[in-house]
Amino acid sequence: MSALEIRNLRKAFGGLQVISDLDLKVPPGQRHAVIGPNGAGKTTLFNIITGWQPPTSGEILIQGVPVQQGRPDLVTRGGLSRSFQKNMLLESVTVLENLRVACQAFDASRHSVFRSSWSFSDVIRKARRAAEQMHLDTVLDRKVNELSYGQKRQLEVAIALCAEPKILLMDEPAAGTSPDERNSLIELINGLSPELTILLVEHDMDVVFAICDIITVLSYGRVLATGTKDQIQSNPQVIEAYLGRRHA
Amino acid sequence: MSADVALSSEQRIGVLKRLPLPASRRAYAALFALFAVSLCALPSFVSGYVMTLAVEAMIAGVFASGINLLTGYTGLVSLGQAMFLGFGGYGIAIGTALLGWPLWISAPVTLVVVAAIAAPIGAICTRTRGVEFLLITLAFSQMFYGAAIKLRWTNGSDGMTGIPRPDLSLLGVSADNPTVFYYYVLAVAVLSLLMLWRIVTSPFGSVLVGIRENERRMMSMGYSVANYKIGSFALAAVICAVAGILQSQYTYFVNPDAMSWQMSGEGVLMVIIGGANVVLGPFVGATVFVVVKQALSMITEEYNLFFGIFFMLVVALFRGGVLGFISTPIGKRQ
Repeated sequence: MSALEIRNLRKAFGGLQVISDLDLKVPPGQRHAVIGPNGAGKTTLFNIITGWQPPTSGEILIQGVPVQQGRPDLVTRGGLSRSFQKNMLLESVTVLENLRVACQAFDASRHSVFRSSWSFSDVIRKARRAAEQMHLDTVLDRKVNELSYGQKRQLEVAIALCAEPKILLMDEPAAGTSPDERNSLIELINGLSPELTILLVEHDMDVVFAICDIITVLSYGRVLATGTKDQIQSNPQVIEAYLGRRHA
Repeated sequence: MSADVALSSEQRIGVLKRLPLPASRRAYAALFALFAVSLCALPSFVSGYVMTLAVEAMIAGVFASGINLLTGYTGLVSLGQAMFLGFGGYGIAIGTALLGWPLWISAPVTLVVVAAIAAPIGAICTRTRGVEFLLITLAFSQMFYGAAIKLRWTNGSDGMTGIPRPDLSLLGVSADNPTVFYYYVLAVAVLSLLMLWRIVTSPFGSVLVGIRENERRMMSMGYSVANYKIGSFALAAVICAVAGILQSQYTYFVNPDAMSWQMSGEGVLMVIIGGANVVLGPFVGATVFVVVKQALSMITEEYNLFFGIFFMLVVALFRGGVLGFISTPIGKRQ
């Protein structure tokens, strides 16, 4: 069974067809990139997969279970977590609080009203582990709005990991980072469990090639090609539409 | 808690940083203790008039605390919380004066009924956000305000009288005595404050803060945000209803004015003046509000005009309200 399966997906905004008859199968543990020029429908695809936008038609299955549209929380509970293209963090609280709240979402304590949130040691332990995993353990007590941009991107991924997902969707995780921050992020992502399925949208081809085994190229909402790095790099249609000569 | 995750003092201070409180827990505890001791000792040092103002400030503080849970912590600005203030007053009036129930039954029944009414109203209102939320809560409030004016069995615009204060004869005192009533209101206010403090420092409270900060992120974390917002709405309504019960006992009557939109607006002003998302903020705001308004009304009949100027100055000069301003380090003030 595929970790993620998309069947005949279509999405139109009025007369504008953003995604057309898209099929995609991502097996468990695969590192899969979706690339394409601006407006190819990548972020729309992510929003549909994660329940933020309804498809016009088609079906999305996460580990064989259809996605319930309009309920991103249930998608996350179904084992698929995402990081966002633009940082979506709890800016005025600390890094630890961001991670604690993220880990708490999967703990029975999340409904508790009459106990301190800091008395649930398992949740705090999980939050610390997520911080260590993304090298944020030295800034736990810092407020998010005091972090560097690269650290914020790391926190985005760390929050997504708190859900202990089977599938992780990352929307341009390296966008806006410096070369050093980008290399550090690549290293961190490659250090994640090999059992974790990753679907990545990224414009930076160096990041894509460093992380992913399989690449799907979208163009005008259609799949132009799917294959390994070498297959994609040598595909004339992809070179023409997106890659250019540097990555060929 | 196991030893490896026990929080160090630094981490605990980090926890406090989640809220714009004074720099350390010790300072906050000292502030709270000073506040509590001052209030306990107040009747020994002041006149009956000042005590009356203090009672009004405490009742207003409880009311504003309910608004703060919704506005300051959850980020939902409501102009309809006075309807729950009215529900509290009318509930206790119907229970005691109309049905003849004792106060100790009427009060909890009132609060349960308020929560039961607030939950579906919250379910409707929290489907909206921003200005729409503000307007829909105002609409609900005005609807019940209109109903209270028209209903004959609650005496329409005349309201209901004969609301009893608690029977404290077992303690050998009467709540009709202003000093005794002061301590009764103080006890309820402190309990409400402690309850609110526990709510906002609980996992539930941290989700509310998360919703205020970034609702989409909370959904994406796996939280059913709608349920938390309804929960916040209902809890805030119950706290406002507690204030309504106290208010009706203070004046021995309740009328539809308790549910007016002006009352809701004043509650929001108190939260802004004292400091939103600070537990003590609404009490400070309510005290400033009551005292300044009273002082201005003694000077001029046009006190509302001058109060407006005062409010603008507070907003302009005290970013984050009085407590927010005090708790912000000098270098970081804007």
